Amino acid sequence: MDAIPEDDLIRYHAGEGGSAERAALARRLQSDPEARALLAEWDRQDAELGAAFAGVLGEPLPMEMRQALIAARTEDRAGARARMALPLRLAGAVALLLLGAAGGYLAGHQPPAGTTGARFAENALIAHATYVTEVVHPVEVGAAEAEHLTQWLSKRLGHPIKAPDFASAGFRLIGGRLLPADTGPAAMFMYEDGAGHRVTLYAAPGTGTGDTAFRFIERGNAQGFYWIDGALSYAVAGDIPRETLRAIAVAAYDQLI
Amino acid sequence: MSVLDEIEAAIPRLRRAARALARDTAAADDLVQDSLERALLRRSHWRGDGPVAAWIWKIMLNLHRDGLRRTADHLVVVSGAAEPADTGGAATDHLALTEVQAAMARLPVDQRQALVLVAIEGQSLKEAAAILGVPEGTLVSRLGRARASLRVMTGRGGPGERKGRAG
Repeated sequence: MDAIPEDDLIRYHAGEGGSAERAALARRLQSDPEARALLAEWDRQDAELGAAFAGVLGEPLPMEMRQALIAARTEDRAGARARMALPLRLAGAVALLLLGAAGGYLAGHQPPAGTTGARFAENALIAHATYVTEVVHPVEVGAAEAEHLTQWLSKRLGHPIKAPDFASAGFRLIGGRLLPADTGPAAMFMYEDGAGHRVTLYAAPGTGTGDTAFRFIERGNAQGFYWIDGALSYAVAGDIPRETLRAIAVAAYDQLI
Repeated sequence: MSVLDEIEAAIPRLRRAARALARDTAAADDLVQDSLERALLRRSHWRGDGPVAAWIWKIMLNLHRDGLRRTADHLVVVSGAAEPADTGGAATDHLALTEVQAAMARLPVDQRQALVLVAIEGQSLKEAAAILGVPEGTLVSRLGRARASLRVMTGRGGPGERKGRAG
């Protein structure tokens, strides 16, 4: 009997062919040790290739990929409300631009003054600057009473809110406080890392302008990322490297959904 | 599942494939990042003709091929006279891994892509051929050549020709 053509072996090895066809080839293999050896070698290749590259499957996605997905999701939610094709695409372009800006190429960029989003962000940075320097009374309610803090702020805000966990960035919750804002009561959570750096998460009732992607704002030494998601506007502020701050903002966004 | 969910779900496997396609880890993640951004920008134009996964795979493999064309990486000489590996010794398993990675890197891009889709991803020949945009017969012969080269480069056999491989 003629040797089995290699193309047929490749198809067989890839699991192709009907059961009758495969059975026929399997029979021919019995008298073709060379073909059997080849199939075994290919199995071994597949196993080696599988093992060599499998490690990445369990790794968390790099920050850059997660941010691209978050921007797209934010945009989709905004788009679902607006139900307009052009603004949706524009929002996508803007989201990507702003992610670029967050990366530094538009460092120092300020949102147009007077817009509600910009005002919200300003307020968040002012609150941040006011309270992070506090040694004795940085917060009204400490992290030890986290449950009470959450209930109290949720009630005053009129919207459920909990303090996100920033442990992955090395920051632990100190506590929170209630603040006045243009749109009603605002909540602020404060976090601290081992070196004494502080970041704040500020949340206030939304400005009604729809969801946005992350935006970057800078004021003195403090910088922040802010976004609108549903009923609330959020801002994360701190005097720490922008990449770290962005990671914290992403963590907040993930947990506040 | 939304298009976005499907795109997201495909990423880990795209990353695995990219590790096998690109020259190093950073280049692999750059390739996936570029593919992801391209897919996200175009997702509103997605008309649902076929699986989302196949579409994003196509995006990545095309970007990979175009990238190589630009950097002329594909001109790296693939020699049939690769050093046969030392098959003895206790560290064989570890060696075999790095060896198979090195061998992949030396395959011509078309063969590498074919092997990634079929041997690593476990796609059917039909799916893989559709993603690569080539007839199934072409894919089969690329796989045959890729497997033969890999065998030589990992030191497990001479360049013996078996009949029946299409050109």
